[in-house]
Amino acid sequence: MRFWRVIEPYIGFLLQGFALTVVACLLAIAGAVLLGALTASMRSSGNGLVRGIANAYGDVFRNVPFLVQLFFFFYGLPELGIYIGALETGIIAMSIAGGAFVSDVILSGILTVDAGVIDAAKVSGLSRFKIFTRIVLPIAMRVSVRPMGSVLINLVLTSSILSTITVNELTGAAKIVAATTFKPFEVYAVLLVLYASLTTLLSFAISAVHHRLNRFMTGG
Amino acid sequence: MRYADFTPYDIILLLQGLGVTLALFVGTTLIGLFLGLLLAIVHHYRIPGCRPVIVVVTEALKNSPVLVQLFLVFFGIPAFLHIRMTPVEAATLTISLNTAAFAFVVFRSGIESIDRDQIEAAKVFGLGRSQILRLVIAPQAAAFAVGPLVGILVNQLQVTSLISVIGVFDLTKIGNILNLRTLQPFIVWAVIGLIYYLAAKALAHAGGRIEAALRKSVKWGGI
Repeated sequence: MRFWRVIEPYIGFLLQGFALTVVACLLAIAGAVLLGALTASMRSSGNGLVRGIANAYGDVFRNVPFLVQLFFFFYGLPELGIYIGALETGIIAMSIAGGAFVSDVILSGILTVDAGVIDAAKVSGLSRFKIFTRIVLPIAMRVSVRPMGSVLINLVLTSSILSTITVNELTGAAKIVAATTFKPFEVYAVLLVLYASLTTLLSFAISAVHHRLNRFMTGG
Repeated sequence: MRYADFTPYDIILLLQGLGVTLALFVGTTLIGLFLGLLLAIVHHYRIPGCRPVIVVVTEALKNSPVLVQLFLVFFGIPAFLHIRMTPVEAATLTISLNTAAFAFVVFRSGIESIDRDQIEAAKVFGLGRSQILRLVIAPQAAAFAVGPLVGILVNQLQVTSLISVIGVFDLTKIGNILNLRTLQPFIVWAVIGLIYYLAAKALAHAGGRIEAALRKSVKWGGI
């Protein structure tokens, strides 16, 4: 097969790129979820200033293209005297952009929890921390698995943009292979199918988690 | 004056970039929405063999990075078919298809949101296929679809920034040029970001008004 013949000598190189994509995505997902959870709790806060700051962050980073955000950090941070590598910059930018979307998902999950449930927990004498971790979070998780999944899949697709700031993750590695082999069609077609299969597998996994968390919900 | 300073001409440069971005966005949106609608209608009428092809292609477009799609079209297709393609052509083709894939899903669920009974009733009243599509399905599907479509279009506006990578002189590319010349990344990228932000907000606002107008006619009175 012609596609395999083109790709075969560079499999090791592409796998290195893939490993970098996986590392970047895992770290960025962790960062985005942490930042998103923090922002969501700020957005549900009673303090107007805290709420305003968190809302502004979410609003700005959802309405500015990721490429522009990435260039802002990549070219801007050294001007502040912060010298970090391109990969680190990329992971930070992905975390910040992802956090804005994750906070939306978590916030709407928290808002689905019935106020009566929280009152009942308070009356039962549970501490605020216990109410949040044992009551609110499990209920919120059930409804937010799917939307959270699509945000994370988007983050994986976004990671390809790191190739524009010299990170040789999967797309960056494929660019080099395409340039060396002079066979861009074959290389990018394979790359497209690879990303599509990766994200499809991810969405199956998300469905499985969704069913697992909702296994006590019968009927509908 | 050093060449590195900002000049009044930079404003014209920014406006040019914004013009290219908006023109490409409007063009690809129109093509994409039309194509997406066409796919949804073909899908609705169950033309043999079409359904799996449409679903696989749109899923592939939705589940792969736009940057890779751009590279495939701009570098891959000319090399494969031995044709010439300008960056603008490649960008228009890619973003249009991408928008079409997302729009298809929205239109499909819009059409599917309509009760079978309504279509049965319309048939009983003697309406033809195209009449049912125009008078029964289209108005309701449109009201259903506008909200999600606006979300998609705000997203696609941001996606257009990627075409700067294949050499289209859009707003982001102008940002690159100003950044390299002035070496003041904070100001340059903040201004570029602000312009995109305002454009996205304006788009969302316009979409909200259209949605309100469409929903007026199919307002749910409550039980």
